Amino acid sequence: MYAIEALSLSKKFGDIQALSQVDFTVREGETFGFLGPNGSGKTTTIRILTGITAPTEGTARIFGSDIMQDTIVARRQMGIVHETSNIYTDLSAWQNLMFTAELYHVSRKDREKRGTDLLELFDLSGRRNDRTKGFSKGMKRRLTLAMGLINHPRLLFLDEPTSGLDVQSNLIIRDVIRDLNEQGVTVFLTTHNIEEANLTCDRVAIINRGRIAAVDTPERLKKTIQSVQSIEIAFDPASPVRAGDLEQISLVSEVRKEGDKFRLITEDPPGVLEGVMEYAAEHHLRVISVNTLGPTLEDVFIRLTGLDISTKGVKTID
Amino acid sequence: MTDLAEQCGQICTELNAAWAIAKKDIRIYYLKPNIIVSGMLFPLFMFLAFAVGRPAEPSVMIPGLIAITILFSASSIEPVSIPIERRMKTFDRLLSAPISLHSVVLGESLSGFLYSLGIAFVPLIAGLILFQTQIISIAPLVAGLLLTSFCFATMGTLFAAYPTESPGDIMSMLNLVRLPLIFISGVFIPLEQIPKIGQFITFLSPLTYGNDLIHAAFAGDTHFNPVVDIVMLCIFILIFQVVANYLYKRFNE
Repeated sequence: MYAIEALSLSKKFGDIQALSQVDFTVREGETFGFLGPNGSGKTTTIRILTGITAPTEGTARIFGSDIMQDTIVARRQMGIVHETSNIYTDLSAWQNLMFTAELYHVSRKDREKRGTDLLELFDLSGRRNDRTKGFSKGMKRRLTLAMGLINHPRLLFLDEPTSGLDVQSNLIIRDVIRDLNEQGVTVFLTTHNIEEANLTCDRVAIINRGRIAAVDTPERLKKTIQSVQSIEIAFDPASPVRAGDLEQISLVSEVRKEGDKFRLITEDPPGVLEGVMEYAAEHHLRVISVNTLGPTLEDVFIRLTGLDISTKGVKTID
Repeated sequence: MTDLAEQCGQICTELNAAWAIAKKDIRIYYLKPNIIVSGMLFPLFMFLAFAVGRPAEPSVMIPGLIAITILFSASSIEPVSIPIERRMKTFDRLLSAPISLHSVVLGESLSGFLYSLGIAFVPLIAGLILFQTQIISIAPLVAGLLLTSFCFATMGTLFAAYPTESPGDIMSMLNLVRLPLIFISGVFIPLEQIPKIGQFITFLSPLTYGNDLIHAAFAGDTHFNPVVDIVMLCIFILIFQVVANYLYKRFNE
């Protein structure tokens, strides 16, 4: 049995087609990433899968239960961590947890034990009775995640769980996701952080303009664009080097400045390396590090979604 | 037998969830300044503006004050709390929980109902102590307080279905309905004195039946039969609950 089956999901808002024939399945125990640019249909898909919104066409099943027909049965098996940290800021951390537990029909004895354990797990025990109004963004996010886990879900929906968080919260949340996966909990994760999806997910789906562009493992997706290889290089001193100059090197199709390094996209890394060394010698630069890199999941994402630097701030790879 | 037990268990579960929502609202919203102004001060000032100086017996005026206090206090919680929760995205928590939409509507209405019941005791006790009014019959008073409070709490939840994140938008719409209700429901002008054509409109107001029932507790006489008042209030509650449920579902899509 699949944890999630999305079958030809379509959704229209007036004349706007938000989703078109979205099909995918998520196996039990899998960590599944759902990637897409803003407005691509990620949130609409989550709202349909959690039964908040009805699809215009198609169906979705959660552990075999139709989300529109057997909504309550399906929802009992899931935990939902929404994109924004939607906690009640006038209530304490403990009251937030207990309220969620009551909504999810967790018995009094179980909810008190579970609540205590979760506050401990997310390093919030010391602030248990404080009103959450004064919590930092990271603490609010950790509490939101704790609230999503209060009912021991078999399936956890995580909408942008680590977006804009401090390092401590990020690490705690990633550890928890890893542990949940080991315990057999299915995780459906939407994220803008492609590296996070690469490290965390067994499979990813890339959605663009309401359509699924690809569903596969991160490594298999990368293999589909093997032509996109690159050299990452750092010079000393870095200041006189211009991306425009590096683009003139033969076989370089594109140059990206990434911090104090340059990433040269090419189909022939050894050929380009020769040209780079000549450039360094000519300009009296010392090469302090060189790495050859295969295509990243970000490259796949950019290729499949066709993002353009002028509109999205990301370069296109042709 | 097993099916029946399962159904009873399901109903209990839904009621527990509704009660959890009501408790949450009680903790968060009862002391919000805009709810205090709208639910407590507004009806008092309305009453003072229209009742002071009128040659009416306390046994007539106090039921009217109780009725409009219930009208304003019961329908003030959800029009404030639900738009705020939409803005904070906490309303999505309720919509995505494993409970029916009926329980969400019921839970939201319960908080307005309890708030209104508490507030209604202020004019009731003031009437008994300061104006020496007497309760002639307790049953219509209890029925009037309970049903009128629940009816207007559900009306507040119904108006709060309008998909906005600003409480002011809902309050404006609600006041377009609440203010005329005061004048067509026999609170200030006895129903007998309203022109025949206007009397038809009074039948469409739930406040007419609530005021009539509470009036019966103090004055002993009613315009309608108390049973009619109770049945009509129950019908209004049912209509508000069903329509609210439909609107939350529709606006959510």
